[in-house]
Amino acid sequence: MDWSYILLSALTLASIYGLLAIGISITWSSVGMVNMAYGLTFAVAGYGAWGVAELMVDVDPIITGVAVVAAGIGTGALAGVLVCLMTFIPIHDKPNFPVRGLIATLALSLMGTQILLWIFGPRVKTLPPVFGEWQAEFGAIVLTADKAGALVSSILLLAVTLTWLKSSRRGLEIRAMMMNPHGAAIVGIGVRRTGIYVMALTGALAGLAAVLLCQTYFVSPFSGLTPMIKGVSVALCGGLGSVSGALIAAAILGLNESLTSAYLGGQYVLITQFALIIIILLIRPRGIAGMLDKAREA
Amino acid sequence: MFDKVWKSAAWKNPQDVWSSAGARSKAALHPVGRLRWYYKWPAHSSNLWRLRYPFTRRNVLRLRGVYNPKSLRAEKTIVDRRPVYWVLGLAALAAIAPFVESSTLLAAGAIFGIYAAINLCWMLIVGTAGIFSLASPAVVGAAAYGSAYLSIHYGLPWWALPFVGSGFGLIFGTLIALPATRLDGFYYALLTLGINELCRVYVVQSKLFGSATGGLYGADSYFPESWSENHQLLLGFYACMLLMIGALFLYRFVNGTRLGRILRAAPEKKEAFAEATGINYRAARIRVFIISSIALGFIGGFYAAHFRGASPSLFSFDVVLLMLAMIVIGGLGRAEGAVVGTLIVIFLEKYFLEWGPMRLILIGFIMMMTVLFLRNGLFGTKLQFRAWRNKKKSEFRSTRSEKGGEMLPEEATETADKDQIYFRRFDKMQRDYLKGLIDDDVIEEHRRRPLGQHSEQLERLLVYFRRAGQVDKYAITMTKPFKEYRIVALSGQRGVAPRLVDDKIYTSENEAYHAVFLRRVQDLLES
Repeated sequence: MDWSYILLSALTLASIYGLLAIGISITWSSVGMVNMAYGLTFAVAGYGAWGVAELMVDVDPIITGVAVVAAGIGTGALAGVLVCLMTFIPIHDKPNFPVRGLIATLALSLMGTQILLWIFGPRVKTLPPVFGEWQAEFGAIVLTADKAGALVSSILLLAVTLTWLKSSRRGLEIRAMMMNPHGAAIVGIGVRRTGIYVMALTGALAGLAAVLLCQTYFVSPFSGLTPMIKGVSVALCGGLGSVSGALIAAAILGLNESLTSAYLGGQYVLITQFALIIIILLIRPRGIAGMLDKAREA
Repeated sequence: MFDKVWKSAAWKNPQDVWSSAGARSKAALHPVGRLRWYYKWPAHSSNLWRLRYPFTRRNVLRLRGVYNPKSLRAEKTIVDRRPVYWVLGLAALAAIAPFVESSTLLAAGAIFGIYAAINLCWMLIVGTAGIFSLASPAVVGAAAYGSAYLSIHYGLPWWALPFVGSGFGLIFGTLIALPATRLDGFYYALLTLGINELCRVYVVQSKLFGSATGGLYGADSYFPESWSENHQLLLGFYACMLLMIGALFLYRFVNGTRLGRILRAAPEKKEAFAEATGINYRAARIRVFIISSIALGFIGGFYAAHFRGASPSLFSFDVVLLMLAMIVIGGLGRAEGAVVGTLIVIFLEKYFLEWGPMRLILIGFIMMMTVLFLRNGLFGTKLQFRAWRNKKKSEFRSTRSEKGGEMLPEEATETADKDQIYFRRFDKMQRDYLKGLIDDDVIEEHRRRPLGQHSEQLERLLVYFRRAGQVDKYAITMTKPFKEYRIVALSGQRGVAPRLVDDKIYTSENEAYHAVFLRRVQDLLES
């Protein structure tokens, strides 16, 4: 097996995982809720992108590609806001919020996937290739269109998101919430309003991840489950609430996944991944970059 | 002077206060108190004969024996009626089963028994141990697969499957308990969420566990082949009920013994306190986790013997969600919550099969509403309602501007002499009336002649003042005979001397009497 191939696939996987994990991580640290409806957001965004792709029959493929990506991001953000309105807004100030938020998002994802199943049926849908059908060769490395596109667009969106978080007023509010929600509330940052921004942002990240992953997999009501579980594990491994930790963990787990599928076979990916995560968490209980005493007090 | 007061405009008919047309107290008299109604069973004395679990000193029923304070009869009260409801409910389920015609319902009943048992063990982990694990279905599935595999390939008989399953449960439970020693709360929940998916993906792809046939079937079963289908269903139903009762006893056993009490002393966010008092709560949590995992493994083995095998759907995310719905709808941390929640969800899911995805949406909706509006599921509604009612009551009390001299509810319930509650109201109305009687003429009349015959108004005031209690009642004391008089306040206690009220010295007895009267009038007007 070729090392360059392994590294390339590790990089692609890491970029998509990073996208997923950062969404979960930001949600947890700023609004204090584990968003288990992330998989639902993912599936809804996939269906949104598919619906737009169905509408664009005789259009230039570049425009179709842009429209599909935009539709995925837009539906994802919309689904994120919906999740926020249904689960975060009603109970964020009630007793026992963390557990209730977890259960509410799980209930929402149970309902949502069944509604998707009801509307669209169990048959899987495919997205058109967004990035065209080309491949480039750099010596031994063969870069296919979907991989290159996934790599470039996820890095681009991540960079845009992180810059936005660093430099904009809203980003400042979100970071203030991540540091200390009570303090943020005292200086006049609306918890509900910021919650909606955060969920829209993370929903958009999930939407892009959905479009990227559905280049290789399919859109189905349950397609969000595996990405969500991977995203949650990566976020957990990196330390909930830490962006840099999530990126490091995404790199480690992406490498692990490509190594395992290259040397052991696809069915052992989850097993080695969980063994790795458990070992990391046994050594560092709050993840790679998580601090034990800085953990968010729900 | 006498005539002047008698005919003064200040005279009011004292009867008006009490007449229906008169100015009554506007403050409503609400029934107060926290009296709860209990049926009183006859008893022989206040020493009760109690039913105990064999070989222990634990009571089956919590009873209280008292003599009725009015009739002096011995009475027995069942303080905690839940065991009675349990027995009645389970007996009703067992009695109805033979008359159920529908085989769907009977099969659903059997599934209810199995799932209720799983949920009870899960509740031990989530509620008692406080470890938010989502991997309990995975333990059941692993044990079911393991024991079904052994039965198919090595011919294990059906009665051995649950015990073999317990072994698998122990191994698997220990493995997934390992991270729980270090992680807490959500970190563990998120980690265990993935374990189900791991098992499902492994089982679906593994040839060893029947990836081709969609499950592992052909294990030995406890159903006799010669029985009719209906009888087999009935047998399955009763076997599953027995399993559930076993799980109930395990739940009671863990919660009622030292282990459960240790864990109740170390709830979430109070671990540091428990640790400071010498409780090793981590070890206790892991012990409960492993006990429950063994029980879950037993149930897994039973599952394999009941369904003649195992299928990957055991690990599916939707099943985990449904089981979570069961324990959430009933209420976390309660056995009755687990069983009733399971009953509701299984009934909706297995009986209305023709509704398709609609029934799962309905279950999700119920779960969502439960979480959004109830603090702790269906069985927490009673407490939540009471808290809400108390909040409303106190809000109502604080908005009221006029006070009627009544006691606060808390005070009223604690007062032994309930006549006091009504006496205060009466006193308030009387004081309001008497305040209207006071004017310059009455005071002038008293100044002239403190003793002797008075007008009606003055006499009513004096009667009210004289009737007051001894505590802090004003009196006069003679410091020098016929020369110096001073005002004192009585202590109201035998042997405790009266205290001097001020430095003023009065030269005559009548002057001192009038000074006391003025003080009392002032107190009345200020009250």
